[in-house]
Amino acid sequence: MLNHHPLTRWLVGLEAQRKRMLKKAPAGPLRDFLSVPFPPLYTPLNHIPILAVDFETTGLDAVQDKLLSVGCVELSNNQIKLGSSYHQIINTKGSLKANNVTIHQITDDQKDQGKPLAEVVEQLLKRLAGRVMLVHFARIERQFLRQACLELYGMAPPFPIIDTLVVAKRRLDKRDVAYDPSELRLLALRAKYDLPEHYAHNALNDAIATAELLLAQVSERGENIPLQQLIL
Amino acid sequence: MDSALIEISEFIQAIPPMDLLPSNIIEQVVKEISICYVRRGQSLPPEGIVEKNLYILRKGALSYTTENKELLGKYSEGDICTAFCLNNNDKAKVTSDEDTLLYSINYNNFHQLVNEYPDVLAFFQQTSEQRLNKKMLQVNEDAILNSSLLNSSIAHFCHDPVVTVSPDTSIQQAAILMTEQGFSCLVIIQNNQLLGIVTDKDIRRRCVAQGLGIDQPVSAIMTDDMTTIDIKSTAYDALMMMTQKHIHHLPVTANSELKGMVTVTDLMNNEGQNAVNITSVIHKAKSVDELTEISSMIPKLQIRMAKLGTTADHVGKSISAITMAFTIRLIEMAEKLLGPPPVPYAWLAAGSQGRQEQFAHSDQDNALIISNDMQPQHGYWFKDLATFVSDGLAACGFIYCPGNVMATNPQWCQTQKKWSQYFAQWINTPEPKALIHCSTFFDLITVYGESSLLEQVRVKMLKKTRSSTLFIAHLSRNALNLRPPLGFFRDFVLIQDGENKATLDLKHNGIAPIVDLARIYALSEGISSVNTIERLKQAAGTPSLTKASAANLIDAYEFLSMLRMMHQANKLQQGQQPNNYLSPKEISKLEREHLKDAFKVIKTMQDSRQSTY
Repeated sequence: MLNHHPLTRWLVGLEAQRKRMLKKAPAGPLRDFLSVPFPPLYTPLNHIPILAVDFETTGLDAVQDKLLSVGCVELSNNQIKLGSSYHQIINTKGSLKANNVTIHQITDDQKDQGKPLAEVVEQLLKRLAGRVMLVHFARIERQFLRQACLELYGMAPPFPIIDTLVVAKRRLDKRDVAYDPSELRLLALRAKYDLPEHYAHNALNDAIATAELLLAQVSERGENIPLQQLIL
Repeated sequence: MDSALIEISEFIQAIPPMDLLPSNIIEQVVKEISICYVRRGQSLPPEGIVEKNLYILRKGALSYTTENKELLGKYSEGDICTAFCLNNNDKAKVTSDEDTLLYSINYNNFHQLVNEYPDVLAFFQQTSEQRLNKKMLQVNEDAILNSSLLNSSIAHFCHDPVVTVSPDTSIQQAAILMTEQGFSCLVIIQNNQLLGIVTDKDIRRRCVAQGLGIDQPVSAIMTDDMTTIDIKSTAYDALMMMTQKHIHHLPVTANSELKGMVTVTDLMNNEGQNAVNITSVIHKAKSVDELTEISSMIPKLQIRMAKLGTTADHVGKSISAITMAFTIRLIEMAEKLLGPPPVPYAWLAAGSQGRQEQFAHSDQDNALIISNDMQPQHGYWFKDLATFVSDGLAACGFIYCPGNVMATNPQWCQTQKKWSQYFAQWINTPEPKALIHCSTFFDLITVYGESSLLEQVRVKMLKKTRSSTLFIAHLSRNALNLRPPLGFFRDFVLIQDGENKATLDLKHNGIAPIVDLARIYALSEGISSVNTIERLKQAAGTPSLTKASAANLIDAYEFLSMLRMMHQANKLQQGQQPNNYLSPKEISKLEREHLKDAFKVIKTMQDSRQSTY
């Protein structure tokens, strides 16, 4: 039955892609990542190993713009484990645009003390292995991560993703009532669920904030939702 | 450390006893945190957690209840819930009142991290005992509550029969009778008429000390303007009367027929350390210093009474009775120092004390009314009296009135004639602004001295208010300025900023409007009571107020006062200054609904007032 569901086929596709790519991947971080199977679709939420991820970037274009910092934290058994949190600034080439610095607050000095992209992506892939990636507005993280993998390993692997923006959007669409797209921003959604204000535009902070939002979203549903209803 | 975790560290570090830990330990504690989300109505621990954890509330609210759903406490943002830290057989339950974000920390790991900080550990280890203690206290309090004076009829306290004698009985015969029967007082009657009362003290003071022959009739030493109490009254009313009149014996009557006698000892034996006890200690105090020391008991008494589940009405009356006892004792001390008063006078209480709705830490509102025989040179005596008493009250924690409604203010230390003029002016030529400041004087009572001085003024005043529609209209307009904080769809409008952000001002938006309404009803109907509930009860069924509306207002008033009392008791218990700002999070959902209902009653009554004028 499950196999006929379009999402199932897509994820089976993900799993198939993973296996195919595993055969071609060079030894190293990418192959390590690909060698761990993705969680099956019927896994209930509290058993899905999740990694909440957020990137700060110099812009919105994954080809021209650069990754500035990565933050992530594990979410398992409906608990966000702060002990697992990881935050790293990347030593990108070139100096930063002033108008951008005001958003992410990473200065050139801090950036110069950051770590090389290869090392940071390796750390991230290690944490992502066997996990579903949780982000808010998946486009940025997916494209920048794919682009980084292409540059580093010559190929980009598939990533199972839960997007809190899409979770919220699906709910709103179901109600068939017009809404303002700004309602879907992380800050607006957190406010809607009465979650505390947080210091935004720090990658780890936003990753934790996204994980908290997911907990609030699924708790509203009351039941233990399976992965297939959440996945992008 | 990463700035994300810094935010969380700062949050944790601000919570006692975590504030005792250095940053490097806090950093490790933060790494132990798992963030959980508990939906409203779910109980703790969150699903999937079996270890012993402590929980820090990041956002939301939790209730801590016994197995039988009795509320033991509430947790809100920044509180630490230790209910699941230790092994205990405590059957208490913790449930979330709202969707709640928790920082959960494994207690064993936490214990290891803070092992070298005994003060921090003590906090977590004491709590189970504290909880037990709290329960025991509750049991004791229940026992006291059941014997509370307010719930007992005077009939349960009075001695029956009373020894009575005729007025021509000799003093010696009376004394013999009292000794034989073991009574400290006798009632003198003639043809079934109560003539007076004689106590042990009268024999000592008026006979033996004066060298009066013991063969003289007992009527020569009796107190003839005897105060009596009706048998249907509560024991509490008896206490109030005794405190006010400074007497220890009170004959009890039914339809003006003598039924028995109640003494202050009877009441005191019934209750432990309470209002009766405190007033009796106050009467025995010999110096202002002693009084100051006694006054430290008032907040404790208020907490106790609040936790007993005593009504706010009862607490207000008890605290007012105690303030009255302090004032009387101070006046007695002053009179001893200054000599007897040159002319008759009375010490008056205004505002909340006048209405007998006072709580601990209220400010003093008082005034003096002096016989019209007063001469200019008498002014010094009254000025000295006022200064001595108000300084004494200030030393006992009743701060000077910010509006200077005090006997020390020459404006409010005046002859009976002048007071009559004041009222005439306020009523005949009302100015809205002046009325805001003088409304407190429509709630005056006599604390000490010649009560007829005020009562004569009041009779005249009420005659005027009944017929002065302009005055009532101005008073109503002022009263309508304070509106209950209900917005669209009956949601709360909270204070938006400042120190009391996101709170409700219970006093100005809830209690004061009812007090104002009750005053208006009383003044337009010529009712002499000043206590809000009394005013509403007496105004019920008059053209000003229907019986149903009166009942609704009384309910609303009692509920709001109860909330304020509990809020203040909590503040006092935490060693903070009590205030009137209630955060909606402090109360249960159900109470919030009640609160909305109470506000709605006020709003309805204000609206109908508005359409009247």
